[in-house]
Amino acid sequence: MLDGAETRTLLSVRNLSVMAGDRTILDGISFDLQPRRILSVIGESGSGKTVLARTLASWLSPPLRVSGGTVLFQGRDLLADPTHARSLSGREIAYVGGNPAGALDPTMTVGAQLVEKLRAVRPDIPAAKARDKAIQLLKAVRIPAAERRFNEYPFQYSGGMMQRAMIVDALISDPALLIADNITQPLDVTVAAQILKLMRDLNAEFSTAILFICSSLPVACDASDEVMVLHKGRVVERQTPAALIASPQHGYTYALIAELPTLWQGGPDRRRRVPATERPIMSVRGVSKAYETRGKSGKALVQAVRNADFDVFAGDNFGIVGESGCGKSSLMRLLTGLERPDGGRILFKGEDVGTASRKRLRELRREFQLVLQDPYGSLPPQSAIGAILEEPLKIHRIGTRAERRDRARAVMSEVGLHPGLYESLPTGLSAGQRQRLNVARAMILEPDLLIMDETLSALDQTEQGKLLDLFERLQARHGFTYIFISHDLTMVRQVCSRIAVMYLGEAVEVAPNDRLFFDPGHPYTRGLLSAAPTLEPRRYRPEDCLLEGEPPSPIDLPPGCAFASRCPHAFDRCRAENPALLSRGGQALAACFLNEPHEATHV
Amino acid sequence: MSSIDITTVPVARLRERKVSTRIWRQAFASVEFRIGLIVLVLLVAAALLYPSLSGIDPVKMNIKAKLMPPLFMGEGWSWSHPLGTDQLGRDMLVRALVGLRYSLLIGVSTTVLMLLVGALIGLFAGYFGGKTDTILMRLTDAQLSIPMIILAITILGVSRPTIPSIILVLGLAGWPVYARVMRSTVMSERKKEYVRGAMVLGATDWRIMFALILPLVLPPMAFVAVLDIARMMIFESVLGFLGLGVQPPTPTFGNIIADGRKYLMNAWWIATMPGIFLVLVLTSINLMGASLERARNAIYGGA
Amino acid sequence: MFILRFLARRLFQGAIIVFLVSALIFTLLRVVPGDPVRLMAGGMAPEALIEQIAADMGLRDPIWQQFGRYIGGVVQGDLGQSFVRPANGAAVGGASFDDTTRSERAEVLALIADTAPMTLQLALLAMVFALVIAVPVGVWGGLHPGGWPDRMALYLSSLFVSLPNFWLGIVLALILSVKLQLMPAIGYKGFAYTILPALVLAIEIAPFLIRTLTVSVAGVMGQTFIDIARVRGLTRNQIVFRHALKNSSIPLLNLIGVQFSMLLGGVLVIEFIFDYPGLGLLTINAVMQRDFPLIQGIAIVTAAAFVLINIIVDLVATTIDPRLEY
Repeated sequence: MLDGAETRTLLSVRNLSVMAGDRTILDGISFDLQPRRILSVIGESGSGKTVLARTLASWLSPPLRVSGGTVLFQGRDLLADPTHARSLSGREIAYVGGNPAGALDPTMTVGAQLVEKLRAVRPDIPAAKARDKAIQLLKAVRIPAAERRFNEYPFQYSGGMMQRAMIVDALISDPALLIADNITQPLDVTVAAQILKLMRDLNAEFSTAILFICSSLPVACDASDEVMVLHKGRVVERQTPAALIASPQHGYTYALIAELPTLWQGGPDRRRRVPATERPIMSVRGVSKAYETRGKSGKALVQAVRNADFDVFAGDNFGIVGESGCGKSSLMRLLTGLERPDGGRILFKGEDVGTASRKRLRELRREFQLVLQDPYGSLPPQSAIGAILEEPLKIHRIGTRAERRDRARAVMSEVGLHPGLYESLPTGLSAGQRQRLNVARAMILEPDLLIMDETLSALDQTEQGKLLDLFERLQARHGFTYIFISHDLTMVRQVCSRIAVMYLGEAVEVAPNDRLFFDPGHPYTRGLLSAAPTLEPRRYRPEDCLLEGEPPSPIDLPPGCAFASRCPHAFDRCRAENPALLSRGGQALAACFLNEPHEATHV
Repeated sequence: MSSIDITTVPVARLRERKVSTRIWRQAFASVEFRIGLIVLVLLVAAALLYPSLSGIDPVKMNIKAKLMPPLFMGEGWSWSHPLGTDQLGRDMLVRALVGLRYSLLIGVSTTVLMLLVGALIGLFAGYFGGKTDTILMRLTDAQLSIPMIILAITILGVSRPTIPSIILVLGLAGWPVYARVMRSTVMSERKKEYVRGAMVLGATDWRIMFALILPLVLPPMAFVAVLDIARMMIFESVLGFLGLGVQPPTPTFGNIIADGRKYLMNAWWIATMPGIFLVLVLTSINLMGASLERARNAIYGGA
Repeated sequence: MFILRFLARRLFQGAIIVFLVSALIFTLLRVVPGDPVRLMAGGMAPEALIEQIAADMGLRDPIWQQFGRYIGGVVQGDLGQSFVRPANGAAVGGASFDDTTRSERAEVLALIADTAPMTLQLALLAMVFALVIAVPVGVWGGLHPGGWPDRMALYLSSLFVSLPNFWLGIVLALILSVKLQLMPAIGYKGFAYTILPALVLAIEIAPFLIRTLTVSVAGVMGQTFIDIARVRGLTRNQIVFRHALKNSSIPLLNLIGVQFSMLLGGVLVIEFIFDYPGLGLLTINAVMQRDFPLIQGIAIVTAAAFVLINIIVDLVATTIDPRLEY
């Protein structure tokens, strides 16, 4: 299709405008994309980047409509000729979205759908050839045992694996342009980093131009040759990553870079502190929990939490980090007494939460509270804000009606909710306001310990900052202790004084903030740090530390260290014996044999 | 740092409507619902008022005026008997309207009964899970596996059918479907974070079940139960038709049609006219029920 | 292996269900008023004779003893003998109390086995009719949610569900059979006699199928993988026929499993109206004649059929969607 000099530019967008009703979403977008280049488009939600991706993929649905401009692809205007555009989609222009889990028909095998797609856009390819090509590509994206995986169903793939399959689905027709719309968004950092690396490799190998849409500046800079910044439907600037970071031209980009929290350099990190006391308020001692599931081969035990062990000091900010499936949610349920541990003890002020009677547990709940993750699902849908806040007081039979009302209003103003909202339903509140309400509900009982389960994950950077300020203020006034459970390294870096890193149900490292980030004692922590999206020069290079593969299933854990299968330093002993948390001095603990003085010389 | 960043003041305090109100409004906005409502209101008003206003006794025989056809049909029709008369000269319109009273009474009370029983059983099974769930659901399956009508005619056939016994039998035979729906709804609600939130706050199971979950999941089920009122009215008429419903001389749709069947060849209207009447009522109820169901699906799908 | 384990589990659960059903029906029949012996022996029979017959048949033993005896028979495949029907076929009702042929009363199992195939024929034909009506209407409605095909599906199902089966049967028999003489209606003398009853039954089932299909097709069409299939380059036909229909067939299957008893209820009334010699007519007559063993037998057989159909439905659903574990 490419015929040489004439179509040097693969994609040429001029003055593209898209409206939704009478609202302008894209306003005069113009840019060119050369073959084989990777161009990132970044912008916050609402900047129009996804609409841009969909316009180029001929996938606009009402009320969105193109109101002007041209999109020249290989010299022909897609907007003027929708039939031609349709015939290109899936063949010359491929699209990968941010929701790999729902992208394929759950009732057909992945392989069958890859073949179906290729034969839909290229009917001339025989089925057997299509199948060979699919398997070959599955191998190219490093899906282990590709022949077997070809015959498996989408639900048998993990998120990262599925995203690789979707990349195969896009590349199988040898497209000239790949539109990658937020493809790393739902993935864990280490898996996202693998996908990014894969994408760059494939770009070199298959000579496909890539339009990489994403909302994180560090990821965009990592991924591409050039970065284009979209703000309120307009292109505000376009530069190479290095130039963009060094000298942003537009005020919006400048602010974006300035606002980014950092891991190693100074920055807006005033909250980092040393532990306030060394008096434990909650001690977790060898806690474990397994769930029974009914798998293909009868019953199986999922070991969600294994032998977790750490202390939380009074007045402290304690962080628990890990990727999805590491057991941090299970641990949260154990810490809050929602579930009872199978083994070990959870001591809150010296009293065992795990074995307390139901009645005693209810009383204890006045003293430790949980703030949940989902700002939308965590509030009862049909109660007014005032009623939501008074509910805990009613449950514990505290105060008269008037007193409860006063207390609710007082807490509302304390967390920054206008008291006039007292009788409204939470329906109209933003995510940030809802989380304030959640915090207010948790603190109305005046607890000593607040457990924050991914409380800030649903919020954008600015809103996160405001809430962190609020938490600090409340801590100063009421002397709260916080446990932050999070997947976000930059967040815990900002606020926590001590941090536990979890992997497959175990706390593999527990260390003070600075020690963890500058001198991690566990290879997994190093891998996590190497994958964290940041603009800073990396302390841990992905080439040395990036983890291959994905965590093994928590159902049939091999003996020995659970991390051994992905560890670049694993040796024989790791596969036979599980290392315990060992002190590395200065309150730092890590579960790795490399930290034993004489073993260290071995490697 | 001492200043508190108060978030945006509510412009005009939004009194957001509750979900059930929204469902009502959305349903009411649809043509189907309005048509159904108007027809139903007219018929119910007629059923309540016409028999006493016209002064015609539904069970009084009048051999002289027997087998009169409805208006404009055949010979010998009369304005005083718009739907004609039966083999005993009883006015068909009044008989059908009185039948409608019983039909509605039994339909509504049966539906309420099975909704309550089903909702409670489903609530317990779904909330507690485990053993409670297994036992209750086995029971539900057992009940579900006997065709409702077989159970009903068995009980009513061997005992004497009275209005309370009909309501009881139909209601107790119909709860399993509700129990199943309720169970699965409660199960998915129970996993949601707001329930976990309430637990962490220290709320008891009873409080969560009856103060938090039930008010949330019962109304949407009750909306769809409107459809079952129509279904139960059909069952009532089937029972009447088999001679197991409210006993003659009280007129019900079922026994009128069963009677009329014997005169089908020479007086077709006795069997068909009350049926048309019944179909009209049922269609109006079903249209309302279906628009409520759609409104509910739209609102739950969207939010 | 999974299949064997699955079957074993489900059959075991099914056995419990059938046991519960028989216990329920058995108790009900003995608790409610109405003495079958008086009916069998006839109104004229002296009280002493009735008591003697009842005692002979074990009807005055405690209920749990009677039930134990009965279940013992059921386990060996013996559903007992009818109270009122002689082995030669015709019902005797309460003819005479000195009837000498009582020893030759009909086996319940044989009565059911004779009539069940007739009912099966009726039900299957009705199912075919219902699918022919419901699939086009429902799928079309689901593909255009809010549009006029959707509205048509709504109106049609609302109308169909409002037609009482016995009334519709009478009206259709009057029009199609009496007035137009298109097809026979009453009794059974050949396959043609199945068509009209099946049509009435189909109209009773169709609205439920239409409603389920509309909702599930519309739901599947809104899912990501359908939405994204277009961008992947699949044609509309591939999307609708290969993916959407397959995915939306599962709710339909489940509906058939759950509503099986509704189908049987409809069969019962319709067989009664058309005097169609199937299981339904047998049931009604059994109830009218207080033929306890026959009622119990029918309840057990229908419960067993319910269990089996639901196992089959789940098996089929699992082959369509492998996510549903056994």
